[in-house]
Amino acid sequence: MLEPVMFTGGVYKHDLVIEMIEDLGGYVLQKNVTQSEIILLLLVPSEDMKSLQALVKELRGELVRAPLAGTEVAVITPTLAIHHLPHLACDIAEYLRRNGTKTNMIGLSRGVGREIAQINEYEVDLVNEHDAAVFIFGNFVDCIRKKESLYRNIDVPVVVTGGPEIPKEELPYAFEYVSAVGRIAHRARKASELGMLDRIVSAVGRALDQTREEIAKDPLTTSPPRVMDAVREQVPEVEYSFSPLPIALNLNGIRVKLPYGQFKDRVRDVTFDEGVSLGEIATISPSRMKEYILVRIRPSSETGFVF
Amino acid sequence: MDPMEVFKVEFTGEEEFGARKYRELIMDILQDLGLIRSIGRLYVYIDIKRPVFVVYGLLRTGVPPLRVRDVGDVLKVEGGYQVKVNDEVHMSKLLQVLWETYGRERVDQPQRDTLIIASDKDPADLVVADLENEFRQDLTDGLIRIAPEGFRNRKNEMGKDSFFFVAAEEGFSPELISELKEKIRSMENA
Repeated sequence: MLEPVMFTGGVYKHDLVIEMIEDLGGYVLQKNVTQSEIILLLLVPSEDMKSLQALVKELRGELVRAPLAGTEVAVITPTLAIHHLPHLACDIAEYLRRNGTKTNMIGLSRGVGREIAQINEYEVDLVNEHDAAVFIFGNFVDCIRKKESLYRNIDVPVVVTGGPEIPKEELPYAFEYVSAVGRIAHRARKASELGMLDRIVSAVGRALDQTREEIAKDPLTTSPPRVMDAVREQVPEVEYSFSPLPIALNLNGIRVKLPYGQFKDRVRDVTFDEGVSLGEIATISPSRMKEYILVRIRPSSETGFVF
Repeated sequence: MDPMEVFKVEFTGEEEFGARKYRELIMDILQDLGLIRSIGRLYVYIDIKRPVFVVYGLLRTGVPPLRVRDVGDVLKVEGGYQVKVNDEVHMSKLLQVLWETYGRERVDQPQRDTLIIASDKDPADLVVADLENEFRQDLTDGLIRIAPEGFRNRKNEMGKDSFFFVAAEEGFSPELISELKEKIRSMENA
């Protein structure tokens, strides 16, 4: 079983960590260099955790569990106007990121108002490419109830946050409702506000666990990190993508940040040691995000094998 | 403690939390924009079913316009006047006013904080900025930020010492406006 962890430490000798992960059969999901600091998101075989911990201790780094690693979460505000950004939305996104997930912030084009709020088809499809979504609503009970129409058609689990206390039964389409956030005009700094960020993170964690359980009932033909490694190896151009994270991981596939028209065949032809190509075990389609390539791994019930 | 003499928020239905939160929000935004000390009383009425958002405030007015002598020391020197600017924040506006009054060729800036004006006319009483007007603009901006974003039909009656701001999702009729004014008046008298 692979354990998701986050390594924070100096750039000096960090390649030792990467080497060890490769030797152990783990995966490096994400690498962020900020001047002399480095943050690595890793998947490590749990039985080898001790040896990695020893190395990290030697390097004076820090190793923490990142329960949300390898997932992508959409943080959605009614619009991108000053009314909703930056404070709360950025705080939530940042907190999720610290727990290892990759967050995308989405401002709806017409999400505002009580009567007039709406979401369009493109936005729904875009949100559906993620593993979970967090909708940030305001301070009024009535508005939060009415705005259910925004996430009713979304397939991924939706965590709704808003100000007032509302019983979960009143919001049947939400995976969970986290109260005590609402619209605020300052950064989260009070203990109660930081506590609410923790509650959002744990709600998202539960939502992702549910998706994982569903996937486990009909396992994917292969794991997304393995596909990521193979694509990275066989389509080296991806390393030159201007994106900070050239391959984004989802629970059921990956998003390759290369133009679809130019690279779809190269991605489809990526082959594994077992002799199968990626095209045989996954659907490759254009992503709703820019011109990227969306890879969705088929479950074993469709392909008939697991490796 | 509220820096205002009176700050009332009224609401309809079950939106007690919203009203409390909006109180915080209004304070945050007015503080951010540095407007809070210029408002004496503030009455807010929220009816989310209709939906409409009303803010009525009494202003602590009487901010005199900013003149040249307020931003720097004016000295009579040989061949004209010298202004030694104390508060550089107003420098660009001061230059603008001096250029307009005397012409660019007569205003010299030998040092960062010193201006020499080649004219016999004393610049001390020239108006550099109308703070009252700027305050009103900032206040309107603040009110737009405060009102829920979806409430895009707005009406703002800015008087000399009070303002009345209404925002709603649907359009509003004169009857509704007078009803809301009546509501605010009853809040004032309560």
